[in-house]
Amino acid sequence: MLAYITRRLASTVLVMGIVAVFIFLLLHLSPGDPAAIIAGDNATTEQIDAIRRHLGLDDALPVQFYRWLGAVLQGDLGISIFSNEPVAKLIGQRIEPTLSLALTTLFVAVSLAVTFGVLAAWKVGTWIDRALMVVSVIGFSVPVFVVGYMLIYVFSINLRWLPVQGYTPIAQGLGPWIEHLILPSIALGLAYVALIARITRTAMLDVLAEDYIRTARAKGVATSSMLLKHALKNAGVPIITVIGIGIALLIGGVVITETVFNIPGVGRLVVDAISKRDYPIIQGVILIFSGVYVLVNLAVDMSYTLLDPRIRY
Amino acid sequence: MSAIAAEPTLRPATPRSAQLRRFARRNPTIVAGGAILGLIALLAILAPLFAGDAVTMHPALRLRPPSAEDWLGTDHLGRDVFARTIYGARVSLIVGMSVAAMSITVGLVIGLLAGYFRKVEAVVMRLMDGLMAIPAILLAIALVALTRASVSTVIIAITIPEIPRVVRLVRAVVLSVREAPYVEAAIAGGTPTWKILIRHILPSTIAPLIVQATYICASAILIEAALSFLGAGTPPEIPTWGNMIAQSRLFLSRAPWTIFAPGIALALVVLAVNLLGDGLRDRLDPRLARRM
Amino acid sequence: MTTTRRGVLAGGLAALASTSAPAMIPARAAPPAARTVKAVMHADLRVLDPIWTTANISAYHGAMIYDTLFGLDENFNPQPQMVGKWGLSDDKLTYTFELRDGLKFSDGAAVTAADCVASVRRWAARSGGGQTMMKRVKDTPVVDDKTFKIVLSEPYALVIDTLSTISTSLCYMMRRKDAETDPNQQIRETIGSGPFLYNRDETRPGNRHVYDRNPNYVPRAETPSAMSGGKVVKLDRVTFENIADEQTALSALQAGEIDFYEVPPQDLVDDLKKDPNLTVQVLNKTGHVALMRLNQLYPPFNNPAACQAMLYLVKQDDIMRAIFGQSKSWQACDSFFACGTPMTNHENTDWFRHGQDIGKAKELFAKAGYDGKPVVVLQATDHYLANPAGLFAAQWLRQAGINVDLAAMDWGALLSRRAVKKPPAEGGWNIFSTTVTGITFSDPIQFTGQAANGDKAWFGWPTNALQETLREQWATAPTLQARQEVAKEMQKNAWDFVPHLVLGQFFRSSAWRRNITGVIGMPEVVGFWNMEKAA
Repeated sequence: MLAYITRRLASTVLVMGIVAVFIFLLLHLSPGDPAAIIAGDNATTEQIDAIRRHLGLDDALPVQFYRWLGAVLQGDLGISIFSNEPVAKLIGQRIEPTLSLALTTLFVAVSLAVTFGVLAAWKVGTWIDRALMVVSVIGFSVPVFVVGYMLIYVFSINLRWLPVQGYTPIAQGLGPWIEHLILPSIALGLAYVALIARITRTAMLDVLAEDYIRTARAKGVATSSMLLKHALKNAGVPIITVIGIGIALLIGGVVITETVFNIPGVGRLVVDAISKRDYPIIQGVILIFSGVYVLVNLAVDMSYTLLDPRIRY
Repeated sequence: MSAIAAEPTLRPATPRSAQLRRFARRNPTIVAGGAILGLIALLAILAPLFAGDAVTMHPALRLRPPSAEDWLGTDHLGRDVFARTIYGARVSLIVGMSVAAMSITVGLVIGLLAGYFRKVEAVVMRLMDGLMAIPAILLAIALVALTRASVSTVIIAITIPEIPRVVRLVRAVVLSVREAPYVEAAIAGGTPTWKILIRHILPSTIAPLIVQATYICASAILIEAALSFLGAGTPPEIPTWGNMIAQSRLFLSRAPWTIFAPGIALALVVLAVNLLGDGLRDRLDPRLARRM
Repeated sequence: MTTTRRGVLAGGLAALASTSAPAMIPARAAPPAARTVKAVMHADLRVLDPIWTTANISAYHGAMIYDTLFGLDENFNPQPQMVGKWGLSDDKLTYTFELRDGLKFSDGAAVTAADCVASVRRWAARSGGGQTMMKRVKDTPVVDDKTFKIVLSEPYALVIDTLSTISTSLCYMMRRKDAETDPNQQIRETIGSGPFLYNRDETRPGNRHVYDRNPNYVPRAETPSAMSGGKVVKLDRVTFENIADEQTALSALQAGEIDFYEVPPQDLVDDLKKDPNLTVQVLNKTGHVALMRLNQLYPPFNNPAACQAMLYLVKQDDIMRAIFGQSKSWQACDSFFACGTPMTNHENTDWFRHGQDIGKAKELFAKAGYDGKPVVVLQATDHYLANPAGLFAAQWLRQAGINVDLAAMDWGALLSRRAVKKPPAEGGWNIFSTTVTGITFSDPIQFTGQAANGDKAWFGWPTNALQETLREQWATAPTLQARQEVAKEMQKNAWDFVPHLVLGQFFRSSAWRRNITGVIGMPEVVGFWNMEKAA
């Protein structure tokens, strides 16, 4: 087990190295120039050239890469070209909102989806089964931003129950924190309900067909407690897998949701950075996203052993 | 699709219409999904015959509600929403299908090689992990922002992050088939490697890949819409449902027709593709879901 | 909320902290919401050095935390701002400036003449008007702590106008040690002597910029008027909120989550006016000019006939209506200077009176020897003007039988691409569109787009000796009237070589909650002094 974790962590470093090189080349080989964006609309070509020189963007690519990699290896993600702030600090400021959004979304998606999935499996073949699956697919089919606007229109503008936008740190109180996350996590969560519900249903059906469940049923174990205890636990493995994939998707979906609900998270940070070509921020965020992704997958694989003792590493 | 067509022939001959009816009764999702998709694809192909002009702007006629002349009204630049929705089907379907086709093809080749040759596997799979670890939307935004907005850039940008998922799926299938007695027998019998790959291993990947393709297709159409929302999608001149919705989002309350037409079309197609995928999965490989 | 154990504990800790270390209580604790204005401005503030960048939003930031030697009043007349007394020698070669008493930087140090001289020199390296002025400046000696001089080599009538310019970059006074930074490098500190302080601790770049009232600021006694007069701050705090999505920002304003929205979607302004909770007004009375720039280094626009053809192709009404809808917040303008400004005239504008004339355009393109090569039109999909302008340019050109390569990209890519001097087919371009404020557009020395000195000119790099001579004449003309005469000559010539075209002039409305009063209108900057917020 320990050897396995060590091996996985070692390969994580390799993966992140690949990502680093890929992103660096992608950014630096394609057109787009932070100097032109800094100089602004009323600047001349000469002024842009001067700024570019001062930013060190005229240096040979290997020199720039070496400089960046050297710093990253020492744990320094660099300094934002625009705001002059350390990238690590900028990312640090944005992690809490994104993490909050991701976790509440996951909560919304999983609780809805597992309920749907279990219900559908229990009532398999009936109209309830079909209706639940169709509803969850519809949730997946409508773009997140359209759902977001509709939610804002109904719950914030008309009913005035919830704020339109923004984020309040959890340190300022649980109430305001939740208040700002309800609509965004529903908007984003709906997109993942279909995916997770479908897997839950299939997994449940497989488990329900197993002998020991039939035995339990025959013995007259109450239906609801049986569903929850036996079946759901054994269906846990595939569900956890999907949640692992879901997190990767979530990282992408967060970008849109953060824009619609103006949540100052990592997604906004990187989209802004891309639009102004703030290379150090883009490189830093993608590096961290990919690290998180690899670690989450490791955690998912580890949790298999907890849920299913037959799996061993 | 050959896998589906092949099966019924094994059964005793019955009149074709009866066969079809039975197929429809047993596979309502495949039929429903297929019918919706087929209809929309037909409209898209025949667009030049009836849709009208989707590109020319008439600012004097902007934001007109649906009428006898403009069936679905006009958008904020005075373009015909009906024509754009019909032409939008072309681009949206092309994006969805190209992404599915390209990622499946590339992923299949890499996955076969990685699954079969152990030496290749280590390197390729780490590379794939690297690609997979980059969030798809971010990669797409970066690619489109850094190069140039065009339908092909969008297709490439959405395809790249899908490839690793296909590779993983193919590799998993290959690994399980490789140990099967008939493959081992073929290896022992000295059959050339390429023949083993094509004759014995390739066929077992087809069923799961068809299902995977439908999901990729649906998500590609949605990602294109998301990219348009972030201003990094298909060029605004070319109508797609995604950029129609994105460009009209300010008019949700004032001119809802500008959003409803492409929005309903988008949801319908994604729904149809999903239904098709679900139906195919249930039919081709009920246990596939576990491996997704 | 019910009291939890953790809550009690936190409260206890807070109490402990406040008793043991009273100095640690933040001096700028968050002020009550009633005295805070949350504003969404036209762009995200990305660069904090208003000299390093010419971006307008950075000039806004500058107006918050820095002050200027002179400021324009609402009639565009320069008035002393940081300067108390000033004079011009009889030979018209030496300007003497004496600073007002009690001016202080936010770090507590007094503002000195040496700070001002360094600031003027750094700014002049960037500003078009500053460069023109510096060509005639022999020396800028510091006389004493409060006095400095600008000594000229020849008389120059525009010194005060130039120092009080409201076009980016503005001449903001910084500390000497900041002002000695290379103008091509960003300054690190945000210390000025303006009406507000920049609160770095509470600022989250990309999300929220926080400005607190500067308690040490000494406003002038005069009533405020544009960038001049007493900049009396009546709020405790102003925040620039970055809400990227227009629809969300609009909803936030309607729900009262923000107080001020500088540029709401203009298409919806008529709806906003019906909202009883909002005030909707145009703050910038000279508006903005939308312009289309032509690359004169390469065919077809290296031939004046092709550039003239564009005059007949552009239909200003189409673009303006596409952006602003039915509202009357725009006008077509035939002048090389923004309509309604002192330099406006109507020389050589026959093309305008005829309206769009595709036949004439075709004729002129043929005369220019157009060879069928695609014309590369840059289109920024995320820019309110450059997006529709690209679409319309393509539509018009195609109607005139010109092949078009409509290159869609984001605004950042457009800014980079338009600086590329290579041929259009090799990553260059033929046409791009942007906007500029009316007041800047009308200034032959501040607006870099007015230069026609080839390689050194603004993107498009036109060469026109007469235009350069006329600009020089304009700068050295002794009176307004003389400058207006030169402006006529310039326009007569300009609509022959056509460095750019006007796509329309427009006046964007701002919207704010009804409880906000005292909003000052001015051409290029939004000032938050004088603004009040009722509970």
